[in-house]
Amino acid sequence: MGENTDVNETGAVDEGSELDPRTAATLLEQTKRRAQRQFEFPSPLLTLIQAGAVLAAYGAIWLSVRGQNPYSGPSYAALAALYAFVAVAAIAATWEGRRASAGVIRRSSRQQWGRAIPLVSAFLAVYVLMGALRYDGFSHAIVYGILPAAGPLIVVGAAMAGYAAAREEWQVLGVAVAAIAVGAGSAFAGPAGVWGVAGVGLCAVLVCRAIAQIWLRRA
Amino acid sequence: MTTDALDPLIHVPARLRIVATLAALPDGDALSFTRLQKLIGLTPGNLITHLRKLEHAGYVSTEKNGSGVASHTSVALNNRGRAALDTYTAALRDLIAGL
Repeated sequence: MGENTDVNETGAVDEGSELDPRTAATLLEQTKRRAQRQFEFPSPLLTLIQAGAVLAAYGAIWLSVRGQNPYSGPSYAALAALYAFVAVAAIAATWEGRRASAGVIRRSSRQQWGRAIPLVSAFLAVYVLMGALRYDGFSHAIVYGILPAAGPLIVVGAAMAGYAAAREEWQVLGVAVAAIAVGAGSAFAGPAGVWGVAGVGLCAVLVCRAIAQIWLRRA
Repeated sequence: MTTDALDPLIHVPARLRIVATLAALPDGDALSFTRLQKLIGLTPGNLITHLRKLEHAGYVSTEKNGSGVASHTSVALNNRGRAALDTYTAALRDLIAGL
C-alpha cells in the first residue's frame, strides 16, 4: 500500500499530564491485548471455522463410505463436498491472513516460504504415495481409505511440529502433535471409520485450540 | 519506589501505546506507519514526533522505502526498545505492588 507520509512533518506533541502508575498499567495491558488481537493469526473464530470445516469435510466422506463392504471409496459428490468445505476454510484463512498481516513487514519472505514448502511437500507426498500404492496393487481400503484420511494428519502434523518446535511455538506444537495422534489412532477404525474418527478428533483438537486462545487472551 | 524509576520516554500515554503495539510483533518484523497510526489513533504529525523521540533513544528504527506517492515508512521495535519495555513493565509492577 502506498503512503505519502512526509517524515519531516512535525506536530505539537502533548506529553500528557503525569501518568498514574495504575492507569499506565491498564493502558499497557489494553494496548498489548488489542495489538495481539490485531496481529493474531489464526484468530479463535477462524480456528472454530476450521474445526467446523474439518468436521463437515471428513463427515461428508464418512457418510459416503460407511457400510461399504468391500470398501470402494467415497463418491464424487462426497469428494466435491470435501473440496467445497476445504475451500471455505481456505477463503476464511486467506481473508483473515490479509487482515492480520496488513501493514506488517516480515523480516524475511524466505521465512514464509520456509514454513510453507515443508507443509505443502508433505501434503502432496501423501497423494503421490496413494498413487504408488495403488499402482503396486494395494487395496482400496488402504489407498482410498486409511491413507488419505490419516496420512495428511500424520505427515503434515509432523512437518508442522518440527517447525513449531524450532521456533518454540508451543501452542502450535501441541496442536500438531495432537493431529499426529488423531491421525495415527483413527487408522485403527478401519477404512470407513477412519474418516469419522479423524474428523471428530481433529475438530476436537481445533476447538480445544480455540478455547486455549480465548483463555490466553483473558489471562 | 516512585514514578522516577519509570522510563520517562515510555511513561507517556502515546509512546507507551506505540512501544506496546510494536512489541506485539515478532522480533525483526516491522509495521507500516499507516497501520500504526490507525492502531494508535494519533495524527501523523504527533506520531512522527513521538517516533523521532523513540528513535533518538534507540528504541525503534524506521525505514523509508520507495519514493513519491509509492513511498512507505515502516517502524520496528529494536532489541533495546524491547529491553526497555521489559524493564518498564517490571518497574511498573513493583511500583504498583508497593502502593
